[in-house]
Parts: sequence; C-alpha cells; structure tokens
Amino acid sequence: MEFTTTFKAGVLAAAVALPLGIANDAAAQAAYPSADETLDWTIAFGPGGGNDIMARSIISILEKYDLYPGEIQPENRAGGSGAVGWGYLYGQNGNPYGISTTSGSFVTTPLQADTPWQPEDFTPVALLATDDLVLVVNSESEIQNIEEFIAHAKENPINIGGTGTVNVDFIVPTLFAQKAGFEFDYVSFNSMSEQTTALLSKALDAMVGNPGEILGLIDSGDLRPLVFSGQNVPAALEGVPTMGELGYDIGVSMPRGLILPPDAPAEAQAWWIETMKKVVETPEWDEYIASNTLTPTVIYGEDFRTFLVNTKNGFGEVLRSIGAIK
Amino acid sequence: MDIFSDLVMGLTVAVSPINIVYLLIGAMVGMIVGVIPGFGPSAGLAILLPVTFGMDPIGAIMMLAAIYYGAMYGGTITSILLNTPGESATVASTFDGFPLAKNGRAGPALVMQAAASFVGGTVGVILITVLAPLFAQVSRSFGPPEYFLLALMGMLTLIVMIGAHWKLGVISALIGFALGTVGVDLETGQGRYTFGSAELIGGIYFIPIAIGLFGLGELFYAFYSGLHRTGTGTIVQYDKEERFWPTAQDWISTRMTMVRGSILGFVVGVIPGAGATIASLMAYSTERSLSKNRDNFGKGEMAGLVAPETANNAASSGAMIPLLTLGIPGSASTAVLLAAFLLWGLRPGPLFMEQNPELAWGLIASMYLGNMALLAISIFAIPLFVQIIKVPYRVLGPCIVVICALGTFSVHASFVETYLMFAAGIVGFFMRLYGFSPAALVLALVLGPLAEEALRQTLTISRGSFMIFVERTPSLWIIGITIALLLLLPMLGRVGNTSAGVAEKAGS
Repeated sequence: MEFTTTFKAGVLAAAVALPLGIANDAAAQAAYPSADETLDWTIAFGPGGGNDIMARSIISILEKYDLYPGEIQPENRAGGSGAVGWGYLYGQNGNPYGISTTSGSFVTTPLQADTPWQPEDFTPVALLATDDLVLVVNSESEIQNIEEFIAHAKENPINIGGTGTVNVDFIVPTLFAQKAGFEFDYVSFNSMSEQTTALLSKALDAMVGNPGEILGLIDSGDLRPLVFSGQNVPAALEGVPTMGELGYDIGVSMPRGLILPPDAPAEAQAWWIETMKKVVETPEWDEYIASNTLTPTVIYGEDFRTFLVNTKNGFGEVLRSIGAIK
Repeated sequence: MDIFSDLVMGLTVAVSPINIVYLLIGAMVGMIVGVIPGFGPSAGLAILLPVTFGMDPIGAIMMLAAIYYGAMYGGTITSILLNTPGESATVASTFDGFPLAKNGRAGPALVMQAAASFVGGTVGVILITVLAPLFAQVSRSFGPPEYFLLALMGMLTLIVMIGAHWKLGVISALIGFALGTVGVDLETGQGRYTFGSAELIGGIYFIPIAIGLFGLGELFYAFYSGLHRTGTGTIVQYDKEERFWPTAQDWISTRMTMVRGSILGFVVGVIPGAGATIASLMAYSTERSLSKNRDNFGKGEMAGLVAPETANNAASSGAMIPLLTLGIPGSASTAVLLAAFLLWGLRPGPLFMEQNPELAWGLIASMYLGNMALLAISIFAIPLFVQIIKVPYRVLGPCIVVICALGTFSVHASFVETYLMFAAGIVGFFMRLYGFSPAALVLALVLGPLAEEALRQTLTISRGSFMIFVERTPSLWIIGITIALLLLLPMLGRVGNTSAGVAEKAGS
C-alpha cells in the first residue's frame, strides 16, 4: 500500500512539475536520469525478432530526439522464451537504469514455466501497442467473408491453424468461436512458415497470423483475410471487419510495452511515462507501428499493470480449461 | 531470354566496388561463424543484422546472404579435422570427413569439400535462376501429411546408419527419439519432462548433443587410447606437401556424387522446414546405398564427404526459393533474412520479385560471385587450417573442450545446453567405446519431433483418418518415390557388392 501511495505522489509531482515549464528540465535531469549512468536495456530475445525491432526502434527515436541524456546500451539476453532476459531485469530490484521491452511471452512464459517473476512484479511504464491477429483462408476457398465462415463452421467440421498452443494464436480463435457459437479443431504449428505452407497446400481450412508476416500473400491474392482481432484495422487490411464490429469482442491481445525492474523509484517511472508520451508522438513511431502492422494501444503506469494482470488471468483461464497448464 | 536479362540486370546492381566489399566481408564472416562449433549461420546472421541497419538494402542483403552460404563452407572444416560439426548441416560430413583426415588425407578432404560446396552452391543458384517459379509450386504444395512422409523417408537413413551392430544401433536411435520428446507438447501445450525449467520449454536442441557426442566423445576416446602421450603425434596424420591436392581418382569417382548431391540438396532445401541438415543426411545415405564401396563408408570414403557437402550447399540455395517467391522462410537462417527484409520496409511475398527486381536479382547474381569468392578463400585458407592438426594433441585437446563449450553456449547463451553438451560428451565416449551409433541418435533426435508433430497435425486435420495420405497428390508422390527407393536401392547395392566380390554383410 505504501508503495502505491508514494507512487501516486510521484506521478502527481511529475504531472505538476512538467507542465510548469521547460526551465525545470535541467534541474529534473540532474536527478533522473543522470547523463553519467549507462542505461542497461535488456532485450529478452535474439536480434531480428519482434521484441528486438521494437526495442531498437524506441532507442533510435530516443537518440534522434535527444530524449535520453546518457548512453543507452541495448543487450540481447535471449533464452527460455524470455525467462532469461526478464529474469535478469527482475534481479535488478530498484535500479532506475535497467529497462526492458515486453512482448507476448512476458505473459505466457510465467504461465508455462516456474519463473521466479510474474508480469505484475515489474514497475510498469507503458503499454504502447498490441499485436493482433487476422483470420485468413486460402483464396481458392469458397468462403468469401466472415459471415460465410461462421455459417460454414456451424454446419461442418473446420480446422484453424496457428503457432503454438500457449499463445494468443490459440486463445483468440477459441474465444472468438465461443462467442460466435461454432466449434473448430485447432492445429498447432512450430512456425508461421509451416502453417502458411499448410494453408497454401489446402491441408488447413483457415489460420490466424500476425498481419505483418502474411501481408505479401494477402496482397498477391493468395490468402483472403476474413476478420481482425484488434480494435482498429491496420491500413493495409482496409475493409476487413474487426471481431468487435461483429459483436464478438474478445478483448485479448499481446502486450508490447516498456517495464522497469521491480520497485524502481517512482521518479524514474514518472520520467519514462512522460518520455514515452513524446516518443509515441513522433513520425518514426507511426512508421514503426505501420510497418509492423501493430495496433497502437497506449496505457500508462498502473493501468498497464492492471492490463497485464487481466491478460494473464484471461490466458490462464482459457489454457486451464483445455488442460494445457495447471 | 528474360531470365538472362534479369540476371544481367542483377549483375549490374551487384557489381559495384562497395557491394563487392560487403560480399567479401560477408563471405569471410560466414566462414568464421561456420568454423566455430555450434555457432551456425542463423546465429551469425542475427548478430550482424543490427550492423546493416544504416546500410543500403542491396549491399546489406548481399552481405547477409554471403554469411549464410559462407557458413556452409566453413562448417565442414572442423567436421573433418576435429570430428566436431561446425553447424548442424555438417554433422553428416563428420562420418567420412574425419576418417579421411585420420587416414592422412586431411588436405584432399578439405579441398574436395570446398569444391563440393562450390558445385552444390553454384548448381543451386543456377536452379534458382532457371526454375524459381516452378519450385515455388513445390514448396506451396507441402502440408503436414507431406512433412510426415518426408520425415519417414529421412528415417530410412537410420537403417543405413545403424550399421553392423544393429541392436546397439537401434538402442542409439531409441535414445534419440526419447530425447526428442522433451519440451512443450505442440498440440496440448503441456510440458513434457521439462521439470519446470524455462530452458527446456523448447525441447532439447540437437546442436549441443551433436557437439558433445561427436566432438567431446571423440576427444575423450583419444585420451582414453593414450594419444596425448605420443608427444608430437596427432590423431590426424598430415605431413607431406604432395598430399595436399586430391588425386584424379578423387575427382572422377565423385563426379556423379556431386550431381546427385546438388539436385537432391536443392529439392529438399526448397521445402520449408526440411533444410540443409536433412538434405545432407539424405544425400549421405543415398550415396552409401548407391556406392560400390559401400563397406568403406564411415571409414574414409571421399564420396561420403562430397555427398553431404554438395547437398547442404545446394539446400541453402534452395531455401532462398520459398523466401523470395512466397515470403516464407524455409530455415532459421532465412527467417533472419526475412526479418531483415521487414526491417527495410520490404514486403516479402509472391509479388516480391516483381516489385523489387533489382534487389531479388541482385541477390541471386551476388550468389554466383559469392560462391566463386568462397572457393578461392577456402583454397587459400586450407593450408592455414591444416596447421591446426600439427599441434600436439595434449595441447589441442583442452582447446577443443573450450571451443565446444563456448560454441554451445554462444548459440542460446544457455547453461543448461552447455551442461547437456558435456553430458553428451561423456555418453558419446561410452557409445564410441562400446560400438553404439551417435549418428543414429542425432538423426532420431532431429527427425523424431518432426515426424511426431506432422503426424499429429495431419490426424487433427483429417479427423483421425489415414486416408489423407492417399487423397493428396503430393503425398502420393512421396509415397511412390519412397517405395521406389526401397525397391531400387538394395538392387543397385547388390550389383555393386557382387561386382566388388564383397559379402552382403552391410555395415560399417
């Protein structure tokens, strides 16, 4: 409780202090962040992955607009589906100069393995975007739109492919099917490429995937998009309805956000919240969102912690119901 | 004629001084990451990817691609000299490469592997140039039923590898299959034998196992047999200058092997997910079945080295086809290349070659140049690498232990995998001592999970019916080819055996 109070006080102080004027900036920087300290930026996955691209995009924006005074050192600490990298950040209790970006595994890995940390243990800065999924069929399929798909699925056995089971790929279509009132067999694949070939070879009836990875096949007319799981359809998928528009809002998506170590000082948290507010206003950020077809969903501070807890509980419930986790 | 104008256009894009520099840097880095055990092309690519952020996409993709196929050249060097595969696709190259070196033919083996890599790589690029659209059809016709059948076909290789002591061979393979069950069950999401460890969620990766079984196991055995006491004597014989170049006999006896290895490797490489490792293992077993000197395989047969080498290089070219024509990465390495495309704001997919002809054809053209550069680099570098084996074994031995440990750790920065590698080393020593088959274990570990997942996906899709295997045209084809191989190979083998006057007892 004490922590929450000091935290609120911190936010209040920051909220009051910042609008008071740019003149205070120099004084504020003397406190946090200090230009002499190197920011240790943990990337819990290898180079080239979604988490890495996000971290490096934010870092290049921070550098371009001189938003961070000191040196930023990004470090890829991959292993154990994020357990290694976030475990490293977890060990930096209270350190204001440790930071990391989150992705879906931030929620799913602790559900699957005995990690010493849970997503809500960390100091939340902001949820910046969510990864959402698009349901597609082979364009040679007779199914033209989502209404036909649901009608077909109610009458016939149907399968939907996705990557992994303890994953949003499984949870999204499961919740959608429950709401829309149909049943399906989920076919789990190791990678997006295997499931895409399976759909192209007509072994699968449909699949879900991150739009960024299959836009090429959608553009060329090989795949037909039916429905999108996020709140807003990305420009490249214009005309495709969202699950919410159909009245089947599932409210689940993969969080891409920013976290500090547990019990990081409130002033550090407040500083990062303010800084991220500037980052998401830049054209470079818009470009990052567009080229990775993410859904911009911005939530700051404690609300992000609540979001993480809700997402974790939602995932846990669905996964327990099928016996994937205990 | 279209193809040639495209290729000329690609060449004009590729041949600029700065791009050639990038290409050479990539080729050298590729060879180096290939040489370090465990540290394969995908790791090398991933680490160098951030370096390319500010670069011009054409130069960057040329450099990254050169790292990718360069690793296939470098990976064999340690397979031959130290019995330690530099990366997964060169596991099969240890089977005959190391015995060749032990027999005093390290020089010819290294030259032949460079030549085989060049032939495989070049045939692969020619096939991409001419047949890309056709092979795009092949790679999009593969679903779970076909993957299952392909894995089964790969398992035929096991029969070859199990060798003379069939009981011990079968036990080896079963251990491999058992290790393959570790990890999260793809279907239900439940952990199998993970003991709550996050590092085991993804299963037991076969690289630490292969490095331990082959590299450390052989090392321990060498110490066991007292090699370190022989002073300057080394496990691998090499001293005479004239032994550097392969004999005419080496070239003549392997010319058809190169052709078969290239084509087989390319076709397997085109199929997403199968890749260079399976291609090299299949090429090895095919060649062994076809050879007149079947009994010499595993004891230092040149064809046994050339077959997997041509195949893994052709496969790495083949894997470019699904990437360029469908935007689907066929392997871990091409997945990193795909990430690079996305980073540069390109949209890989069926329209990619049409929309970005300069990039696509520049890349293809650069692969011709890259293979030539790598052949030259290899030939120059071989005398340097051969120096390694002049180091006394009591000095070299501890170095190998360190290289194996660092190489394994560098893949995923995982202590669990490093411990596994050491454990596999001890197991490998006893397997070597009592005549088990480490190769069968590794192959089972690779193919077991692949077959299991594909079969379960197939049966989910077909709702439990096995008829799906005969209802789909591509799977019918694979069944046909498998049956043909099963019938044909023993016959061909018998002809070879009788002409050589060898008893029909198969095995190494």
